[in-house]
Amino acid sequence: MKLTPYIAFARIAFLKILAYRLRYYTGIVTYMVNVSVYYFIWKALYRGKESLGEFTFEEMITYVSVGFIIRTFYFNNIDREIANDILLGHIAAKMTRPVNYQWMNIAQAAGESFFRLFMFTVPTALAILVVFPLRAPASLHSALAFLAALLFSFMVFAALNFLVGTCAVYLHSILGLIRAKYFLVEILSGLLIPISFFPDTLAEISRWLPFQLISFTPLMIYMGKFQGEELVTSFLLGLGWTLVLVGLGHWFWRKAATKLTVQGG
Amino acid sequence: MAVIEVSRVSKRFKTYDRKEGVWGGIQNLVRRNPREVRAVDDVSFTVDAGEMVGYIGANGAGKSTTIKMLTGILVPSSGSIRANGYVPYLDRHQYTRGIGVVFGQRTQLWWDIAVVESFQLLKRIYDVSDRTFEEQLEIFDAVLDLKPLLYTPVRKLSLGERMRCDLAAAFLHRPRIVFLDEPTIGLDVVAKENIRQFLKRINTELRVTVVLTTHDLSDIEELCRRVLIIDRGHLLFDGSLEGLRERFECKSQIVFELREPVQVDFSRLGFNASVEFQQLDALRCQAVFDKKKVASAELIKAIVNSLAVRDVTLDDTTIEEIVREIYSRGEVASA
Repeated sequence: MKLTPYIAFARIAFLKILAYRLRYYTGIVTYMVNVSVYYFIWKALYRGKESLGEFTFEEMITYVSVGFIIRTFYFNNIDREIANDILLGHIAAKMTRPVNYQWMNIAQAAGESFFRLFMFTVPTALAILVVFPLRAPASLHSALAFLAALLFSFMVFAALNFLVGTCAVYLHSILGLIRAKYFLVEILSGLLIPISFFPDTLAEISRWLPFQLISFTPLMIYMGKFQGEELVTSFLLGLGWTLVLVGLGHWFWRKAATKLTVQGG
Repeated sequence: MAVIEVSRVSKRFKTYDRKEGVWGGIQNLVRRNPREVRAVDDVSFTVDAGEMVGYIGANGAGKSTTIKMLTGILVPSSGSIRANGYVPYLDRHQYTRGIGVVFGQRTQLWWDIAVVESFQLLKRIYDVSDRTFEEQLEIFDAVLDLKPLLYTPVRKLSLGERMRCDLAAAFLHRPRIVFLDEPTIGLDVVAKENIRQFLKRINTELRVTVVLTTHDLSDIEELCRRVLIIDRGHLLFDGSLEGLRERFECKSQIVFELREPVQVDFSRLGFNASVEFQQLDALRCQAVFDKKKVASAELIKAIVNSLAVRDVTLDDTTIEEIVREIYSRGEVASA
């Protein structure tokens, strides 16, 4: 596969988003509000307690805040975009190009994420840092591993969205499905509550599911709670799930493409 | 040499009839009534290299579905298609490198960014060298006057400007075959003419094979020597435009409005043998004639000279009328 066209797609996405800068200024406020809400919830829960589970209050606030900060990076709307392509018929023009539709979507999402890293992630992080006491990464080693884990977090999120989006070929309207996935990912990725707080069985299952790789895993690495063997396992899981989900998406799209109907015109 | 071979191709869709009303809506939840629609039914034709073919039919006739199968977007339900040596939907990746596509109803360009950025992206997708890219832009600029548009975001272009850019985008990588689905839809006369000039030039100079769908007969008259007519999924005619004219009467119609309500004696005009006259109401009359036998200018002159006329309008045969005529005869013709 030649890479240049996909880099070009990423670049286009970057340019496209420049046209809508304003969205991000409101986004920063939204994320501040989110973090504040969880700050007060956890503050109430920690009243009179040193720690809950393996987290001290300070650690929990770091967990929640960094969780929302990295969400500004890995998040994308591939599912919605595919649904739109299919619903509005834009898919026709995109299929007449010699590019892989899956990688085109992932490349565009990557371009957006790269853009958001500077325009959204950094300002949000600064804004949150001013108000809430955050901990630095546990060590340089943890910090580097955390950055690497973010790549898996992006890939797993993107690959999942592609799979959900592809369902639109069969279902046409997938808004309900997208919403269901949204909440499922918020919970199972550990964005709202650390996975170690789940009931035992669910926690055990979640440890092997791909969702935790999106939020929980990079956060545990950031805080130095995953080290040594656990770190290696989480990277292997990240690599494994990325391959499986991208492979699944590839197979699903090939199958779905033969069933395409083009709306309008 | 044939570059496109379509043989006995059909495309069937399944749609669901919906029942009306609240109760019908509830029934739809439980039980759906599938119905098979044949968008394209047993269609065969070939296109030679360098040909410019008009594919016409009324709305919903199956034109777009055919184009979508030819471009590899849709998979035929039965039959086979070979184009440029590939089976479009199977070898989509290699096949699409050699074709260009324009859908008149929507743009292939990126909506929010400058046109030139879209071109740059396409250049990378199709692996176009810097030199070819510059050369192509020069050619397009000469005919389409492209340069002033390059740095404008697509959403700020008028429909005509956008179509010029879309056409350039489709030809950028020097495709062997170009499919144009309604390239002149919604355009004014000047913009249409612009685009026709461009297509003519590209077709003759670069020997690109062009298949274009339209429901504007004048596109075909200006551009194509050969027409395919499709209606309700069936191919009704495959042959030259002259063949079509000869084979099917092309009735034209003149409606004229009198200054004062009078009973007109049409025999005074001297066209009684070849023209059918009819008084529509007190003021308006209609003359139906065959353009091959009667020159419309002569007829108009006779009307204006011998009657007190306020207004004259001339209607040519539209493609819909020809199709209706062919259909009413119920024959599949070739000439």
